[in-house]
This record gives sequence, C-alpha cells and structure tokens, in this order.
Amino acid sequence: MKNVLFAAVAALSVTAMTPAQAVERGGTLTFARYDDSTLIDPIYADRNPDIWMVSNLYDTLLRTEADGKTVVPGLASSYSLSSDGLELKMTLREGIRFSDGSDIEAQDVIFSLERARNPDLGPWAGLLGSIESVTANDRDITITLKNPDPTIILMLATFNTAIVSKDAFDTASGTTDQEKAQALSISAPVGSGPFVLKDHQRGASMNFVANRHYWRQGEDGQPLPYLDAIDFLVIPDDATRILKLQAGEVDAAEFIPFARVAELKADSNINMELFPSTRIIYSPINTREKTADGEDNILASKEARQALNYATNKEALIQLILHGAGKPMTSGLMASTTQLATGTEPLYKYDLEKAKALAAKAGIKPGTEISLTTLAGSADDAIIFTALQQMWSQIGIKLSVEQVDGATRGAKNRSGEFDIHTYGWVNDVNDPAQVAGWLGYYPTRKAVGTDWNNAEFNSLYEASNKETNLEKRAEQYAKMQTLYAEEAPLIFMYETPFAVALGNAVKGYVQTPLGSNEFSSTWIEQ
Amino acid sequence: MSSITYLLSRLLQMIPTFILVMVIIFLLVRLLPGDPAIAMADAKATEAQLEALRQRLGLNEPLWTQFFYFVRNVLTGDLGQSILLKAPVATVILERLPVTVFLTLYAVLFSLLIAGPLAAIAALNKNQRADIIIRGLFQVGLSTPVFYIGLLLLTFLAAFLRWFPVGGYGQTFWQHMYHLLLPALTVALYTSAIIMRNLRSSIIEVIDAEYVQFARAKGLSEGLILRRHVLRNALVSTVTLLGLSIGNLMSGTLVTETVFAVPGVGRLMLDAIFARDYPLIQGLTLTFAVLVSLVFLLTDMIQSWLDPRLRPS
Repeated sequence: MKNVLFAAVAALSVTAMTPAQAVERGGTLTFARYDDSTLIDPIYADRNPDIWMVSNLYDTLLRTEADGKTVVPGLASSYSLSSDGLELKMTLREGIRFSDGSDIEAQDVIFSLERARNPDLGPWAGLLGSIESVTANDRDITITLKNPDPTIILMLATFNTAIVSKDAFDTASGTTDQEKAQALSISAPVGSGPFVLKDHQRGASMNFVANRHYWRQGEDGQPLPYLDAIDFLVIPDDATRILKLQAGEVDAAEFIPFARVAELKADSNINMELFPSTRIIYSPINTREKTADGEDNILASKEARQALNYATNKEALIQLILHGAGKPMTSGLMASTTQLATGTEPLYKYDLEKAKALAAKAGIKPGTEISLTTLAGSADDAIIFTALQQMWSQIGIKLSVEQVDGATRGAKNRSGEFDIHTYGWVNDVNDPAQVAGWLGYYPTRKAVGTDWNNAEFNSLYEASNKETNLEKRAEQYAKMQTLYAEEAPLIFMYETPFAVALGNAVKGYVQTPLGSNEFSSTWIEQ
Repeated sequence: MSSITYLLSRLLQMIPTFILVMVIIFLLVRLLPGDPAIAMADAKATEAQLEALRQRLGLNEPLWTQFFYFVRNVLTGDLGQSILLKAPVATVILERLPVTVFLTLYAVLFSLLIAGPLAAIAALNKNQRADIIIRGLFQVGLSTPVFYIGLLLLTFLAAFLRWFPVGGYGQTFWQHMYHLLLPALTVALYTSAIIMRNLRSSIIEVIDAEYVQFARAKGLSEGLILRRHVLRNALVSTVTLLGLSIGNLMSGTLVTETVFAVPGVGRLMLDAIFARDYPLIQGLTLTFAVLVSLVFLLTDMIQSWLDPRLRPS
C-alpha cells in the first residue's frame, strides 16, 4: 500500500514538475469551487476557502515546494539561523514589487510580521509566539527569538506571514486593521502574490487577474503566472459542479465526492486528480473517568479503546466511503504526508480476535451502550455510523447515534458531552507541532477534547518545541507517535486525498497537502 | 374608511409583528446549542482565543444589553456586522435579496402561466380524460423532490443538450432571465401543482353557481362568462394561497438555490445558521418578516379588488 502511494506521489510530482510540452501563456481559467471566500487576508483568513487562496494573492518570505515540506527562498533571497537558534537573518530580494508597482521594502516585512503576531488581531498569532522582535537594516531583516523555535523557518513559509503593503494599509479607509483589510479587499487590493483580486460577487463569483509585477520566473524564463486571469464560480452542490465541468462551462471542479471519482476517471475529457493531503478522518473518544451524566465511563480504559480500534475495519470503511481512494492512518498523530510522520503499517489492523480479547479484559459486557455523535446531513457520517454499529456489535457494543450540526458538535467536544464523535483535520502548517498539539498535548485543547492527559507525552511535546537539533526532534516525535497510538484516545480511521477534476487542457495545477490552491504555474493548452 | 387610511392602518399593524419577530428570533437564535465563537473559530481555537472572540463580538454582555444594542441598531438601520462574511449584514442582504426576489417572481409568473389555463381546462372537463391527465401529471410534480427535478433538468437540458447554462446567475437582466429559467421552472412545477388544484376546485364550485347560470341565461358568451364571472370569483381563494406560497418560496428557495448555484438569501440563511452568525440570522429573519408582511398586505389588497365584499366598510 505504501509503495503504491509512493509511486502515485512520485508519478504525480513528475507530471507536475516536467510537463511533456512547453508551457503556453495566456487565457482565463474557470474554476468551480465548493464554497466562497470571505476575506482573503493573511492574518484574518480563518476558513479553508480563505486560507487556501492566500498564497495566490500574497507571497511569503520563504516558500515550500509543491510537496509542502521542502523550504526554498521566497521574497527573501537567503536566510540563516544563528547557531544558538535565537536569531534568524534574511535578505530581502532586490527589485521585487507589489501589484501596484511600488517596491516591497523592509518596512512592509516588519509591518506584516508585527500584524501577524499581534494576538489582538487574527487567530494565528500564537504560531509566532517565539518572536521577540523584527528589525531591519536596509534589506537585511533580523528576527530575534525569545527561545529556539524549530518551527520558525516553516512559519515564514506559511500563509499567515505573507507580506502585505504597509502603504496600502496606511491609506486604506477604516479605523481598525480589520476594517482596513476589508476596505482593501473590496476597493484596490495591493498584493505580493502572482495574482490580484479584481472582482468579488459574494456567494457567486470571484475574479483574479495576473500580477504583472510578480517576481518568480516560469519555465520559459518570463515572470509567472502563465494565466491572464482566473474566474472562480461558487457551486456548492457537488452534482451541479460536476455537470458544469462536463458541460464544458468550467475548466476545473474541486471537492469531487469520492463516489464519483471512478466515473470521472473513465471520462476521456477529464483528468481526475487525487492530490496527496494532510487530511485525516478520526473520531475522538471521551477518556474521562465519568461520562457527562456522572456514570462510569468504560472508554476511560485503554483496553476498551484499543478493542474498538481493532474491531474497526478501516479497509471496509475506505471502500464504503472513499470508494478505495484513501488509506488507513499509519501514524496516530498525523497524516503520513506530514513532516516527521513515522509508521508504515496501518494502525490497529482489523483483528476481531484481538478486539474480543481486549474487550473482555476491559470488562465490556454484551449490550454495553455507546453513543456516536455524527454530523446531521453528512452522507459519510451516516455510513460510518452504520458500519461501526455493525462492526462493533461483534464485541458486544450497542452503538446508538446522535446527529447534530457542526457548531453543536464543537460545543460538545469542548464540554465533554459525548462518547465518541466524528471529526477531521487538515494541517494549516506543515510542521507537525500544530497537529500534535491539537491531538495530543493536553494544555492546547485537552487532546482534541478527549481529556487524555499523559505527562510523558506532554513533556515530550514541550521539549520538541524547543529542540533545534532535527534528529533529536525526530526521535521525540517518533516516541510521541508510538505512545499516542498505544494509548488510542481516538478511533484511527483514514487519510483522504483532495479530489479535483480538471479539463484535459489544464496543466500544472496543484492542490498542496495543506489544501492550498496553487495557480502560479497553471497554464491552459490552447 | 378610505383605502389610503386602510393601507396606513395595515402598515401600522405590522409594527407589533416586527417587534415580536425581533424578540422571538433574538431569543431563538441564542437557544441554539454551540456559541458563535465556537462555530466561527472552529475547533482549532484555544479557550483563551475563544474568550477574546466572545469579548470582541459582545457575547459576554448580558442578554438584555445585547437585545438593547440590537433594537437600537435596527432602528438606526444598522443590522450589524456578519461574523461569517466579515461584512455589514445590510450590504450582504441587499446584494443577495434581489436574486431571490427575482427568482421568486419568475417562479410565480411561471406557476400562473402553467396553472391558470390548465386549471380552467381541467375544470371545464371535470372527470373527463383531460382532467384526469392534468391532475395525474401535477400529482407527479407535487410528489417529486425539488432537488431531483432540478438535477434532471440540469442534466438533460443544460449539460446534455446545452440549451441552458448549468446554474449561475449572470450579469445583465436578460442573462438573469436565461440563467434563472430552469430554477424558476423547477420551483414553478411544485407551486403550480398546488395552485392548479385549488383553482380547479374553485372554478368547479363557481361554475354551477346561480349567478353564472343567470349570466348564461342572459345569453352572454362562454368566454365572457369565464373571464368576468367564473375566474374572478374563483381567484379569491387562489390569491390567498398564492400569497402564502410566495411567503414560503421567499424563505424556502434554499434547495433550488443550492442545486442551481444561485447566490440568493436562501443559501445565505443556511450558511448563517450553521455558522451561528447571530447578526446575519437576525437580519435575514427581519427581512423575511418585512417581505412576507408586504406580500400578505398585497394579497389582501388584490382580494378586496376582486371581491368588493371584502373591502373595509
């Protein structure tokens, strides 16, 4: 399985990197989206439809390659971290400009980073908590850290540290920073990315045009992007989005339901892409000693949680829900595409005998009632429930369902009023600290609401956040992953790719493992 | 009472309705489990971040303070800032309301064009073949889910035959007419079924009335009898029904808007509820209340024009 995936990834990256023919410039790409953006600003982007568009409008100091892992220079032409790990020096590239033609200068970098790390503004400031100060001398930028931070390099390649124009914000209407960001996004957006937002009809369409001052070179030696413009259409209904592509009215449609992937793969006019992602589907288990009703919680026992995991046939779930287009989780703590992910074998491979033995050890009696909280209206969740109800009945569990909407599920996760509930995650940052903090580190969010509080894990996590020696950090992460899988605060389910259907003429489009839609190297065959 | 004072008194009567709507919606929204900070920040936010967000949104204020601000702002025409869309609620609603109104009127027009003639034909051929076929077809229309009809129309007329665009709204008036034809037809298939049945039975009732027999005895032509005596009287209850269904349509175009990717307020309402976007839900509900009240008023006016007995004395 791993080899198959590896081959798929390799084949994909080969097609993405070396197109069979020379690129062609010009044209407008029409792209059907599942949801609309609201405010595409580096620090206020808090929903995926916003976050995943930022890199098209704003460039970062450093960049990651399409794999989301390898860091390369961006607006900064070079960078170096001092040996004590407390000072990061960068040099701003010469001759770079914003979309309005003005120079990108050190003052813009300082302004953007100060904005990004201000906890009173956007929700992402915590990711830059280690920064003490940002200073500049001409084009030399110095970031001083309070403590060594192994994530800082990747953070400067992440959407929230993208560079905005200080002058544009200074002159924008509005009093607060958010009002200014809104005013700019409507009137005259000034960006540092390959495209500029030209028009936005809320809920209906959005239009990007090429930023002719963009610095990065294409394969033909001319500045990117290849496209003149992109028209985004918001088509929330899956079936309609696909029809729109089949009718030739759009060049691409994202978020193809997995049930339709095989059909579109067979269509010779369509190139059905499954981009590797950091998306994992899992179910947090309430590990508290008592349930919200004050009764003893059988799931507080590690063996009970392990039994449920062994009794879950992940391959069957993948067939039922993803029609085969996914793989079981191999690391308990993250998708296998994340940096420092360990593990090659599926976690808790389906084994009914082990499950029964563990269930007996945990004292699960036939008819033990457990409730699964699912999203009302989600077809996937409905299948998960039916399948788990059947699978877990083999070890004596009587599974009932409680259907709620997203906000209610979120509230229950925080209050602990659940046994097990469905959930999913996509990394926003490719450093594993974000997802590991979310799933396992108690102080962040009570280990994704499970209340699992493991002193060894917590101290490993804290140490890894200050460990600048990469090998040592990798060891810490390996230990955390083993420990987490063993303790099983989750039902480990599966990883899913991003399914995007493209017309045959569309080349070079990439959705990164973090979900970001990358149009800078996209082109249309005439 | 002149019709002007009648109109004014009806408009004044709406004010208590709106106050009641404001109170109810303000409270109902807050009874939903899961606060907006959780819905908004999704799961990733820490408790401290949530608290900061609640502070910023004024969710920590006592309920009556929040209500006071809400009413004060509404009276000054300020519906607040949408949490989800990060834009003023009034702007967002004004952008998207015309789309839904356009779609609704278009659908009503279609419904009348379909239901009117067919109801007359069915009634005049009561229990004969034409009547049975017409009623049978509408029964199918009534019992097929709207999204399914929508997808069928999209698949055959738009994606396969390419006569129509697959969803969307367009830019100009004529593009709107073109883009919204299929969604309007989809809605109309359902609405016209209800109207047709009602109108048919009204016509059947009226057609045997004494004044119609008298008109016939006077030797008036059948066409004139149908227009002046039968339809005019039969329409009274149908207009009521139409008024009620416009109210329904207005707030219920959600499914059609989603299937046809029409950026109207139906879809906006659903997004707002899922995101616990209090200001947007309140703004939309208030807008619906105003619109529905106006439609009901209009219905009453038309009725009293059709039937002088209903006029205020």
